[in-house]
Amino acid sequence: MRQLKVIRSLVIDSLDTITKGSKKYHLWMGFLTLVMLIGMYCYSIQLDEGLSVTGMTDRVSWGLYISNFTFLVGVAAAAVMLVMPTYVLKDIDFKQAVLIGEGLAVAALIMCLAFVVADMGGPSVLWHMIPGIGVFNFPNSMLTWDVIVLNGYLFINISIPFYILYRHYQNKEAKKNIYVPGAVLSVFWAVGIHLVTAFLYQGLQARPFWNNALLGPRFLASAFAAGPALIILVLAIIRSFTAFKIPDKTIGKIAMIVTVAAQINLIMLVSELFKEFYAPTHHSESAYYLFFGLHGKNALLPWIWTAIPLNVLATVMLTFGKLRKNPRILYFCCFILFVAIWIEKGFGLIVPGFIPGPYGKIAEYLPTGIEVGVTLGIWALGAFVFTILAKTAIGIELGELRFKLKKMES
Amino acid sequence: MKNKNLIYYLMLFIVVCFYSCKQEGEYHSITDKIEADQKPYHGNLSSEELLAGTDLIQIIEGEHTFLIPERKGQIKSYACIECHSKPLNEMKGVDSQKAHWDIKINHAALETMDCATCHNPDNMNNLKSLTGKDIDYNLSYKLCAQCHSRQFEDWKGGAHGKKVAGWAPPRASMTCVNCHNPHNPGFETRWPVQFNTQKVKERKDDLGH
Amino acid sequence: MSESKKWFSLDLDLNKKSESSGTCGCGNTQESCGSSHKQEELSAEEFYEAAINASIGDERKKDGFEQVFDVQMDRRDAFKKLTASLLIGAGAVSSCTSVVQGADSKEKAQIDWEEQFKGNYKLMTDDEKKQTVDRLMRSYELRTGKNINMSSKNAEEDVLFGYAFNISKCQGYMNCVTACVEENNQDRKSQMQYIRIHEMKDGKGFNFNEADDNYYHEVPAEGHFYMGTQCFHCDNPPCVDVCPVQATWKEEDGLVVIDYDWCVGCRYCMAACPYDGRRFNWSKPEVPENEINKNQHYLGNRIRKKGVMEKCTFCVQRSRKGKNPACVEACPTGARIFGNLLDPDSTIRWVLENKKVFRLKEDLGTEPKFWYFMD
Repeated sequence: MRQLKVIRSLVIDSLDTITKGSKKYHLWMGFLTLVMLIGMYCYSIQLDEGLSVTGMTDRVSWGLYISNFTFLVGVAAAAVMLVMPTYVLKDIDFKQAVLIGEGLAVAALIMCLAFVVADMGGPSVLWHMIPGIGVFNFPNSMLTWDVIVLNGYLFINISIPFYILYRHYQNKEAKKNIYVPGAVLSVFWAVGIHLVTAFLYQGLQARPFWNNALLGPRFLASAFAAGPALIILVLAIIRSFTAFKIPDKTIGKIAMIVTVAAQINLIMLVSELFKEFYAPTHHSESAYYLFFGLHGKNALLPWIWTAIPLNVLATVMLTFGKLRKNPRILYFCCFILFVAIWIEKGFGLIVPGFIPGPYGKIAEYLPTGIEVGVTLGIWALGAFVFTILAKTAIGIELGELRFKLKKMES
Repeated sequence: MKNKNLIYYLMLFIVVCFYSCKQEGEYHSITDKIEADQKPYHGNLSSEELLAGTDLIQIIEGEHTFLIPERKGQIKSYACIECHSKPLNEMKGVDSQKAHWDIKINHAALETMDCATCHNPDNMNNLKSLTGKDIDYNLSYKLCAQCHSRQFEDWKGGAHGKKVAGWAPPRASMTCVNCHNPHNPGFETRWPVQFNTQKVKERKDDLGH
Repeated sequence: MSESKKWFSLDLDLNKKSESSGTCGCGNTQESCGSSHKQEELSAEEFYEAAINASIGDERKKDGFEQVFDVQMDRRDAFKKLTASLLIGAGAVSSCTSVVQGADSKEKAQIDWEEQFKGNYKLMTDDEKKQTVDRLMRSYELRTGKNINMSSKNAEEDVLFGYAFNISKCQGYMNCVTACVEENNQDRKSQMQYIRIHEMKDGKGFNFNEADDNYYHEVPAEGHFYMGTQCFHCDNPPCVDVCPVQATWKEEDGLVVIDYDWCVGCRYCMAACPYDGRRFNWSKPEVPENEINKNQHYLGNRIRKKGVMEKCTFCVQRSRKGKNPACVEACPTGARIFGNLLDPDSTIRWVLENKKVFRLKEDLGTEPKFWYFMD
C-alpha cells in the first residue's frame, strides 16, 4: 500500500514540476507541442493517402524514417558508455550524467519506435507483430530480433533510472545489488541493439552496399561517437539552465569517449573507402553513387560531402587535448560530429543501399514536405519526452522533490 | 554472484543463437530436390477440360507423344481437289476463277524454295516432301522439319512453340503453322503494347528540381 | 461451422431480431457484441442461442457475459473479444448506428470487423480459409452489387512450378505485361507491373545497367535482344525469411505468396529481394470496375489494399487449375515456358535437361525457379 502511495505522490509531484517552470521553459514546451501537432497533421495525411505522399518509391523503398530510426538506435545504445564506468567500474564521476544519458536513451527509443510505426504501410494491423496474438517470425526475421531488443532495452532503461530515482525520492540510497545486475545486462544489451540493427541491413544479400562485415562494428563506433556527443551537448544545456551540477571532469571523460569512438569510426570509414575504390567491382556502384554520383544522378553529393569534412574536422580537433578541453570548441566539435554522423548513418547509409536497384536502374530519393513534417514531429516528441524525464530526474536529484517533505507539508 | 548471472545470460544467448540457426534443407539445391522428388504426374489437375473445344490429333515423334491441333478442318478451302481436280499444268490457262493470287512467298531464297517445294502440282490434297513423298496436311510439321531440324528438336521437347492450353497433362502443343504463316514465316516488327509513363516520371522527373 | 451456409445469413437473422427488440446487436453487454462477431468458432446452434441471448435478453439461460466466457477461446480469440470491448466506442458504435442504415451496412461493418481480426492465412485450416474467402466475396457483393468468384484452393500434391524464358525468342512486344496487369488487377493509377522486359544491346552481354526496361519504339530493335524479369519464386527466398509476421511464405507447390491482409507493410521483403520481384501499394490501388478480373484467388489477384506488398504469383488462380499463367498464354513468340518441375515428362523439364540454362545472380544462393535459355 505504501509503495502505491509513494508512486502516486511521485506522479503528482512530477506532474507538478513539469508544468511549472520559467518562461523559457514554457516557450520551449509550447514550441515542441506545436511541432508535434504539425507532425501529427502530416501523419494523418499520410494515413489517409497512403505512403505515396512520401518520396519513397518501389525503387527506394526506405527513406527518411528508417534513416532516422537507424541513427537513433545508435544514440540510444550510447547511454551504455556512461552506464558501464559508473555502475560497474564504480567510477562515481558519471553518476549524474548517467541519469541524463538513460533519459536520452528512453527518448531515443521512443523516437525509434515512432519512426518504425510511421514507416509502416498498415499501422492498424501492427498487432500481427505482437507475439502470442499475432505471428512473430522469430528467429528468422532480424526485424523481430530488433523488436525484442529495442523493447527490452527500453524496459531496462526505464526501470533502472526509475528505481534509483524512486529510492532517492524517498530519501533512501538505491541498493547496489538490485540495479547493478540490470546495469550489467544493459551493457550487453546496448551492444546488442546496435549489432542487431546493423544485422537488419547486413543480412541482405540483395544489397551489396550493406552486405559487408564491417557494417555492425561501424555502427557501434559511430554510435559511441554520436550518442555521447549528444549527451555532452545536453549536459551543457542542463548545466547552464538548471542548478544541476555536472563537474567538468565528467564532461572531459565523456569527451574522451567521443574522441576514441570518432577515431575508430574514421579508421573504419577509410577501410571501407579503400575497399570500394581501390579495386571497384560491380558492387561498388552504390558507393560511387553516394560519393560521386552515377550517370548524372547526384542527389546525395551535397549531403555526404557535408558529412565527411565535418566528421574529419571534428575528429582531428577532438584528438588534440588542448582543443578538447576548451568547452566552446568541444561543444562545436560535438555538434558537427553529431550532424556528420546523422547524415552518414541515416541518409548516407539507407538511401544508397537502394541505388542502383537490383537491375541497375536509378531512381533518386528526396523526402517530401509531409515526410519532413512527420520526422520533425517525432524529433519534437523525443525532445518533449526527454525534457519531462530530465526535469523530474533533476528535481529529485537536487532534492526538490521528496516524498517525506511533501508529507510533512500536508 | 554477478559472474553466475553473467554466465547464465551468456548461455541463454548462445542457446538462442543455436536455435535461430537456419534449418539446413534436405537438399543442396533445387535441382537435387527435383531429382529426389520427381515422379510422373498423375494428380487431379488436367488440361482435358481446357482442350475440350479443340480438335486434336496425337502424334508420336521419337520418345515424345503429344497432341497437336488438327489442321485440315481449319483450312477453308480444303479439300483442295474440289478445285484442283486435275494436275496444275492442265489447269493453267483454263478460264476459271483466280485463286491464291494474294499469296506471296517470303520464305527462303527463290532459288531454294518455290510453291512446288512443298505443294505437289499433281496432288494438291497432300503436301510433298523433298523426296516427293506425300505429307498429310495435319502433319505439316514434318515438312518444316526437313530444313528446320534444330527447331524441330526443340519443338518436340517443348522448348520451341506454345502450348494449346495449360501446363497440366495431357500435353497439347501448337504446331508450326499455328504461329508461323508458312508462306511468310517471319515475325513482323511492331510497337510494344505497353508503355509505362509513371516509370518515366519516377526516374527522369529530376525530383522536381 | 457444420452447415455449409454462409455465416452472414445467420447474422442477418440476428439483425432482424435486434431491430424488433429496439436495440442493436451489442445492446446488452459489450461482451455479447464481441461474441456475436465471432461465430466462426461456434456451432450454428450455439450461435443461434448466443444471438437470442444478445437480442432478447438473458432470461432464457445465461446472461451475455457468461455466454461469452463459456465459449472456449484460444488466445487470438480472447484478444479479439478484449479488443471488441476496448474499442467498443470506435468500432461498435458505427455498427450500432447502422440499425438505421439497414441490415446491409451492418453486415458490412461486421465483415470488416471479422476481417480486421482474422488470423494469418498460412496458419488457417481449410474451413477458415473458406470462411474468409466467403466473407470477402460477400463484402464485394455488398459494396458493388456484383459477384466475384474467389478461390482458396491449396497447392496440389506432386507439383512444383517452374518457369523458363527463351532469350532468343523474346521480341519485346510486351503482350505479357499487359496480360499480367489485366489478369492480376494491378493498380492502374501507379501503373504497377510485375514483369519488366529489359532491352539489351547485342555484344554487351547481360548488362542490366545499360538496358532499358521502358522503351517505346518499334520492336525488335536492330542490334538488341530482350530479357524478361519478374518474381523468380526462389526455392530459398530471402524475402520470406525477413518478414517479421510471416505474411509471405513459400507454398508446397513452390509459389511464394503473400497474405495481403496479414502484411504490415514494413517493406523489409522489398529490400531483401535481389530480383526486384516485389511491389508495394503506395496508395489505394485503383482498377476500373469493368476491368476487374472476377476470377480470383485469395493469394493471387484479389483486390489489394493500400499499404501492403504484392507480387507475381505465377497466376496462382490459373496455375492451380492447370492453366498457364497469363504471361505465358499471352506471349506471341513462345518465349515463356511453364510447368511442373517434378514431372519428368513435362516440357519445362526437357528444357532444363536439354538446353543450356542459367539463372540470374545464382551466387546469392536464392535458388530461383526461373531459368533462362537460348535456342
